[in-house]
Amino acid sequence: MTTTTTSPVADGTDPRPAHGGGRHPGAHEAYRLSYARVLRSEWIKLRTLRSTWVGLASVVVVLVGFGLIAAGVSTGSVAPAGGGGGGGPRTQGPLDTVLLGANFGVLLLGIIGCLAGAREYASRMITATVAAVPTRGSVVTAKAVVLTALVLPISLVATLIAFFAGTAVLEAGGATTVALTDAGVLRAVLGTAVWLDVIALLGLALGILLRNTAASIGTLIGGVIILPGIAGALLPSGGQSVLKYLPSTAAESFTQLTPPAGDLSAGAGALVLAAWLVLAIGGAVVAIRQRDV
Amino acid sequence: MIEVQHLTKHYGDKVAVDDLSFTVEPGVVTGFLGPNGAGKSTTMRMILGLDRPTSGLALVDGKRYVDAPAPLAELGALLEAKSVDKGRTARNHLLALGATVGVNGRRVDEVLDLVGLTDVARQAAGSFSLGMGQRLGIAAALLADPSVLLLDEPVNGLDLDGIQWIRALLGELASEGRTVLLSSHLMSEMQLVADHLLVIGRGRILADSSMADFIATASDDRVQVESPDAARLAELLVGDGVTITSHEAGRLEVSGVGARAIGDTAARAGIALHQLTPAIASLETAYLELTRESVDYVGSVHTEREVA
Repeated sequence: MTTTTTSPVADGTDPRPAHGGGRHPGAHEAYRLSYARVLRSEWIKLRTLRSTWVGLASVVVVLVGFGLIAAGVSTGSVAPAGGGGGGGPRTQGPLDTVLLGANFGVLLLGIIGCLAGAREYASRMITATVAAVPTRGSVVTAKAVVLTALVLPISLVATLIAFFAGTAVLEAGGATTVALTDAGVLRAVLGTAVWLDVIALLGLALGILLRNTAASIGTLIGGVIILPGIAGALLPSGGQSVLKYLPSTAAESFTQLTPPAGDLSAGAGALVLAAWLVLAIGGAVVAIRQRDV
Repeated sequence: MIEVQHLTKHYGDKVAVDDLSFTVEPGVVTGFLGPNGAGKSTTMRMILGLDRPTSGLALVDGKRYVDAPAPLAELGALLEAKSVDKGRTARNHLLALGATVGVNGRRVDEVLDLVGLTDVARQAAGSFSLGMGQRLGIAAALLADPSVLLLDEPVNGLDLDGIQWIRALLGELASEGRTVLLSSHLMSEMQLVADHLLVIGRGRILADSSMADFIATASDDRVQVESPDAARLAELLVGDGVTITSHEAGRLEVSGVGARAIGDTAARAGIALHQLTPAIASLETAYLELTRESVDYVGSVHTEREVA
């Protein structure tokens, strides 16, 4: 039985000298760890799991579908179940209506992110991963990069489709609409797509930090989505000045056309969210480097 | 080559590995033995950089594994057999791991063929049996043609074909000049495959010697004797330092006298011998003798030992 004969490398060429029986130093010049290769490895991992594609497909369906339904309901062309005719949510503007699905998309992408981070701990694949990349930190950032490379374009396209399709429904129903060129609309649409990506990255970091799918999903949904609402009700009036620095509130400042009074400015909100992201990913890098696997 | 220097690992108050030092040489298969909880896996995990030593150092080909420029090409490891995502196919699993150092699809197919998984390469790893999972783990270890191999219980779950295959494979890998360290609970298997032995107990080195030397320490000089006139033969053999045990009529177990002396005595007295068999010391007896003191978990069923 032959164990190894040749081991050509990915680039097609085979710069490695063929070796016979004996080992010699430098037998592996062609095999080298590099950041580009860690990226490639993480990309293969992400794209070869069916759950990635099922999850992202549902994000698109939810974003576009909910936008269309909400637009239909608000123009009265779709009657709400058990409802007394048209009407619908009058409190929100046309942009909120067509991007209604983003609220659920945030949930889905948060979960997708948590899975991307914690899944290897559940399967113990992390042992093989860390053995292959013993410096470890690059695994976390590579996961973040490939996740963004997949999630951001899809979020962007889905958000834009939701915007245009929903707006078309509103127009057909004779309702008020906004155009991308109106003040703040483009920022809010792009901002929504970015927020969808950021929530996935926060989930990824939590998944790695907590090493447990359920715990990270619970923490993400509790901390990022539920906590701001509860805390707002519980905290004394001064608490509002703290709440605006929470990730979801900071995101509101640039995903909403007219953010609630007291929120940060769009630029400041983006910076605060970026700080959260750096903190989370940085924390995950430190944790994976420090801990025993 | 693996060099372990004063390696120590504490988990809270428990000392898992206690000032361990040894060298695993290339070109031979080194067996790593020890009772459950002796620290074998922890030691292997520290060599691989999965666990951080409390103190001490583990070097793979002269450097810490963490500093390896091409990790998978330096050290291939099989530690947890099921460190595989169940939703990914075997081939994609290997592609993803190999990509970290630039292993391409052709090499992945080559390794899949080597471990006999070509037919199921595109099936989800979650559908694999224990033995197939083990083969996939071995494929991952061999992926980048490493010069050092670290295999924890590689025969676990393999069928007889698989065991014979891996026995041949390990011998060949070592003969190519690679460093091979493997642990196994199967003494008979270890005796067949390993040239050198490291035995640890309670995190400390108990033995570091060649297989032949280690077995010789068992100093088992018992001789099985079967004779129609066993009782008379026993009387003739009795003497200083001679122990004779008989569990059934016509059979003796003699120690303190060699088989040759027993045969001569019987011939002189005209006693017929139907069997005269010196006990061959095995790895198992040698190992049991050595580790009796350092077993952490003793079962409640005791094997009956000879009554003197």
